Amino acid sequence: MSQSVVIVPCSGIGKTYGTVTREAAYIVTEDLRPADTRIVPLSLLVLGDEEAQAAVRDAAVVTLDGCKLACATVNVRQAGGAVAKEYAVLDFFRQHRDMKPQGIAELNAGGQKLAQALAEEVAATSDALRSEEDNHA
Amino acid sequence: MPNLPQRKVGIVACSGEELPEGTLTRLAALKVLEELRPAQTVTICLPLFLAGGEGDRAFAKFYPTIAVDGCDKRCAARATELYSNKPAASILVDEVLDRQGLAHPQSCRRLSPADQPSVDAVADAIAAEVDHLMAARWSRTEGAILELTEAKPAVSTAGCACGSGIPVTTVQVDGQSVQLMALEPILDMAYTQGLRANGELPDQILQTVQVYNQVPAGEEALYARAVGIAWREHCAKRDGVAHG
Repeated sequence: MSQSVVIVPCSGIGKTYGTVTREAAYIVTEDLRPADTRIVPLSLLVLGDEEAQAAVRDAAVVTLDGCKLACATVNVRQAGGAVAKEYAVLDFFRQHRDMKPQGIAELNAGGQKLAQALAEEVAATSDALRSEEDNHA
Repeated sequence: MPNLPQRKVGIVACSGEELPEGTLTRLAALKVLEELRPAQTVTICLPLFLAGGEGDRAFAKFYPTIAVDGCDKRCAARATELYSNKPAASILVDEVLDRQGLAHPQSCRRLSPADQPSVDAVADAIAAEVDHLMAARWSRTEGAILELTEAKPAVSTAGCACGSGIPVTTVQVDGQSVQLMALEPILDMAYTQGLRANGELPDQILQTVQVYNQVPAGEEALYARAVGIAWREHCAKRDGVAHG
């Protein structure tokens, strides 16, 4: 059986889109695919925590970025991990303009919908990655 | 001369998604940034230190920062020091909650209303550090405090952020800003009962302080010293009023 897909959301605390990435990551790892996915916190990667670095090096990684600086993707790569799929929430929002996110500590209904939609796509990606891995095993 | 921005304090929250305390750091930092000290604080994005956020790195190098961490790995404090400069203050959620006898949050994703006092307590601790740093002289070239003022309590004019209306006083305990509930009314009552500052802190004052505040085991002497300073200042102020 293939191992968990690692989800790394943006850790930004000052903007709505960062909150959307985090909420989407929680939806995937707690509601949609709790047995198949796990979050690795970006703060541990920034610090160079060995366990976190090993986790992103040894598993398929999906990154969720809240702004164009793409901290999640950049930090995973710097830790030696290969990003299997990167999502930029701004691009994702452009495809779902009816779900306008607002709020930072708490998302509005639009933000929740956007996070849910993103999470569903990430869950599907995670299934595909695990299936690929199983086929190669 | 370079056009330097107005002095502010940067808040670096660990924001760890894996732990409920990480969520608490984020919410407490947001409360300070948006409600308690919006004019004096900015947020610094921890992941940007590695992702090439020169602005964030430069800010943390020359301006005071407060690292707020959810666990003893202290990612925020250590990464700030690694990539920029040593934080001027470091707050660990566990220590704040344990000191005040508050519950630790249970959910990473969404804290419950019962966790609000814990968020408030950490936010208050951050705000107290902001006040302390804004009052200190800061060297932009050194990126460090030039001069530490003597531990001096600042009486809050507002009630406690928990909404109880109980006043809180910020004192320095072993170099850390600590908020004590109801200290001012306790000192006021003691003075009215005829007690005076004559070198030693009357036992009954510390005992009453401990009714309203949790003093960690082994730190009684440090708290007694901090309360003693507040007591002497209170008496001096009241004596001045009485004689003036």
